[in-house]
Amino acid sequence: MMPKRTILTGLLSAALAVAPAAQALDIAATTSNMGMLAKHVGGEHVDVTTMAPPDRDAHFLEARPSMMAAIRGADLVVSVGAELEDGWLPAAIRGANNPGVRAGQSGYFEAAAQVELLGGGGPADRSRGDVHPAGNPHVYLDPIRMGEVAEALAGRLANKDAANAETYESNARAFAERAEEHVAQWRESVDGAPGVVLYHADATYLLERLGVPDLDYLEPVPGVPPTGSHLRSLIRDLEGQDGVIIRYPYQREDHAQFVAEQLGWEYYTLMNGVEIGGDADDYFALLEQWVEALRSPLD
Amino acid sequence: MKGAYWVQGAAAAALLLGSSVALAQQDGQGQGGTQEDMLAEEGGVLGGLRPGSTERIGAGTAFNPSISVILDGVYKNTFSGDAHEPGGFVAGHDHGHGHGHAHGMEEGFQLRETEFAFEASVDPYFDAFAMLVIEGTDTVDLEEAYFTTTSLPWGLQIKGGRFLSDIGYINRQHAHEWDFVDRPLVSEYLFGDHGLQDTGVQLNWLLPTRTYLKAGVEVLQGETSGIATFEGEMDVRPEWIVSEPDGSNPRRERTDAQDLPFDDASGPRLFTSFLKWGPDLGFDHAAQFGISGGYARAFQRMDEHSQGLRVETWDGDAWFAGVDAVYKYDGGGYLGQGDLTLQGEYFYRNIDTDFSYFNHEDANEWERGTAAADGTSGRFQQDGAYLQAVYGIAPRWRTGVRAEALGIAKNQAWHDRDEGNGFADFDTSYRYSLNTTFYPSHFSYLRAQVNLADFASDDPSNGDRHDEWSFMLQYNLSLGAHGAHPF
Repeated sequence: MMPKRTILTGLLSAALAVAPAAQALDIAATTSNMGMLAKHVGGEHVDVTTMAPPDRDAHFLEARPSMMAAIRGADLVVSVGAELEDGWLPAAIRGANNPGVRAGQSGYFEAAAQVELLGGGGPADRSRGDVHPAGNPHVYLDPIRMGEVAEALAGRLANKDAANAETYESNARAFAERAEEHVAQWRESVDGAPGVVLYHADATYLLERLGVPDLDYLEPVPGVPPTGSHLRSLIRDLEGQDGVIIRYPYQREDHAQFVAEQLGWEYYTLMNGVEIGGDADDYFALLEQWVEALRSPLD
Repeated sequence: MKGAYWVQGAAAAALLLGSSVALAQQDGQGQGGTQEDMLAEEGGVLGGLRPGSTERIGAGTAFNPSISVILDGVYKNTFSGDAHEPGGFVAGHDHGHGHGHAHGMEEGFQLRETEFAFEASVDPYFDAFAMLVIEGTDTVDLEEAYFTTTSLPWGLQIKGGRFLSDIGYINRQHAHEWDFVDRPLVSEYLFGDHGLQDTGVQLNWLLPTRTYLKAGVEVLQGETSGIATFEGEMDVRPEWIVSEPDGSNPRRERTDAQDLPFDDASGPRLFTSFLKWGPDLGFDHAAQFGISGGYARAFQRMDEHSQGLRVETWDGDAWFAGVDAVYKYDGGGYLGQGDLTLQGEYFYRNIDTDFSYFNHEDANEWERGTAAADGTSGRFQQDGAYLQAVYGIAPRWRTGVRAEALGIAKNQAWHDRDEGNGFADFDTSYRYSLNTTFYPSHFSYLRAQVNLADFASDDPSNGDRHDEWSFMLQYNLSLGAHGAHPF
């Protein structure tokens, strides 16, 4: 009995010795946009680690030891949710031995769970590609929804750290107000914009917010790369119309370029997330680039 | 409004009740007519009241575990040569347990594995996972059935049940996660056809460090053929057939019981531990390095030979140790283009056994010996390694190369004794593989692979080495809600 107890005591004291003093809340954010929002709301009272870089497709990442290390010590995991990170976040949480951040616990936060989702209710049938019957997860490009997420996040942070509740709330409100101002202005500026063709339905929330049509997608079905026949039929359908094409750096350029040339449109390479450590200014600047691209056919 | 619905519901319920009585009456008169017809008729009488939903309100299937089925089929063609089994590893390879020659793949088409996985939270304290594997069409293997704790503090977790040990890197992976069609030789021949798969408990601890550091210990029953095979205390009474000199009147005779001197090591008999370190290398690179080892306090085998009424026993213990490393480069290309994975493992196994044989010349007494032409006592060391690289040659396409060796530093077979006084030390066996995999989506892949096996002979009188070229085509399809994989 004695040696066992000694070992256990040893382990416990080792664990306690290295545990950081509970000052700032430790947040593990999945994408850089969620990291930005968490940092904005939490300010100096949070330490944010972002697990996925903005130049990778968050659908297709793999759980990594560094993610598990980040989640191991986190008070809160902040994700986009609605299955966007399904390929890695559940495995990373499972491997992190941190009971507080499992789904359903107060340390688990999904942006998609805080706002109204679009595009839900479709059939759960993978012959239609990477479908999300619970709704389109890509809520992060809609600044209004991000404002709502910020407010929900402020509530969650306050729940963990009541002393700074007011700070969290006012930070979140500032973000939401700024989003509203921008959106009012952007809606005017893109008024009459003919629309956009993307690879994937991941800017739907922004486009709907701004009133710009989502014309079509380069992917024939979600998650499946473009095929020649699909691109030809897309060009046939859109011939004579005006619009723009937007791609991300991790998506193939030749498809976008081909369709743009055939239709006589411009194509843009934009990011869908801020740089790691980016702040709200960077986020609104990024959306500004989107607005510029969307309204470019109007010039 | 709510009140109105309630009244409607009650009316519908009354209607249903009534109609079922009516149905029973009609049945009694031997007449047809469906319930719906009758509901419609009565609906007419009651002036358009809907019959209401016949759904039973409840959670339905929402409490069911997430289920996935993974289909895996292989076509194999050995188009040149025959490598047999790698020298030094024949008897250690589930020889006596009905697995037959060259476990796994046959020539031609085969359903190699159909995996059925079930996963759910049990309650706030446990998650559970079970995977049944049907090998071919009629062999069911309970690959895993374990719980993990979900509420232990300080980064601790307990896993219990039947599971794939966390030693090494590939050991805990299921076949559909491999980058090659077949299991690495070192895993198959040092541990078993399913790697180190056993029943017991694991305690693991993710240390509160900024880089990933996980330590674990496992206490296992000890049923894995390559490292912890167990016979236990027993006695044998072999039988033989005797007959008159002209062959008439055949009858069975049995020997006296002979007690076999196995230590009756009750379980648990296998103890392992592992340490995994994953440095933080930024977003483009990831790596994990592991060391692991284990000790089996019983390694016991018995071979019964009907000819000459002979029983051979090996009784001892065994230990193993190994290192593993994996590195992944994420190039950020479209659908995996430019990504690279390097992976390698080395394992060393040491078996200490005492050999005994028991001869029984027909009706004479049992006679015991401790050294014979085909068995001896001693320390038997064997090792093996593989190294593989997989590269994303195009979006959705990956190509892999793998080199493997078995019996590198030592290749002493515990079951084989040399002509002289020592035991045989076999040559090293090698295998080389090249493959290309196409991933139509995340839920399917198609793979073509060529293997060149260059095995040391297990029977040097039959040539020193044997070569074999084989070609494999594989499909792997994942149905349902299959969860994410760990690194």
